[in-house]
Amino acid sequence: MEYIILSMTLLAIGIYGLTTKYDLIKLLISVELITIAASMNFVIFASSLNDALGQAFLILAFSVDTCITAVALALVIIVYRKLGTLDIRELSKLKE
Amino acid sequence: MIKTTFDMLLVVGLVVSAFLAVYLDEAIHAVLSLAVMNVILSVFYFSLNTPFAAVFQLTMGIGTVAVLFLAAEMLTTKVGAQTLRHRLLGLIIGVLLSVPSILAVGHEITVISPYQFQFSTALWELRAIDVIAQGLVILTVAIGIAIILKEKRRGT
Repeated sequence: MEYIILSMTLLAIGIYGLTTKYDLIKLLISVELITIAASMNFVIFASSLNDALGQAFLILAFSVDTCITAVALALVIIVYRKLGTLDIRELSKLKE
Repeated sequence: MIKTTFDMLLVVGLVVSAFLAVYLDEAIHAVLSLAVMNVILSVFYFSLNTPFAAVFQLTMGIGTVAVLFLAAEMLTTKVGAQTLRHRLLGLIIGVLLSVPSILAVGHEITVISPYQFQFSTALWELRAIDVIAQGLVILTVAIGIAIILKEKRRGT
């Protein structure tokens, strides 16, 4: 249970990446860090409570995480095809 | 004592590699740092006596990193390399960020769970419908992505 601070640190790093970076790949990595921080809580509690239910939930969370990454990457590819860049500041041009 | 030192090393490696994955400008280096973080995280899960989580973390992490590596290689252009001083600064910030987690290592809080499920019981008896539903979700997402990319190709 003492590792909750570790998962919160990972969450903070992910939020830092989301708020300061403009590259879509970096944003994807930041989202990945946030999901890892969230799923780490399942493992920490499963370990401290000696209960495998947390691991079962973790596997379900992993499948959702994979879906998020796949959809986000498809959107990244579409953005790159349309704009030729991965800078999110250019995304406002999609409205035009 | 040895386990605590090992745990501290894992925590430092985890936080530093996570921070570098966000901090480094070059996308390839960031993805490689994420790969290192996934491997350390898997070892960390093994040390917490959660082997199934460790194996799944490693396999899913490898898949994600492979896809991200290909995307970073194909879609990004080389930016000017960061100076050694800049990278060292990232390393130092990462180590500093891991200090609160290091201080918490060893102060274990014991909680007694009213349930003591085995992994197979938890997955196949308690969450069986969830597992089937997740399979359907993954299938739907795969079909959806194929449709999105196909329509965009047709449109361009």
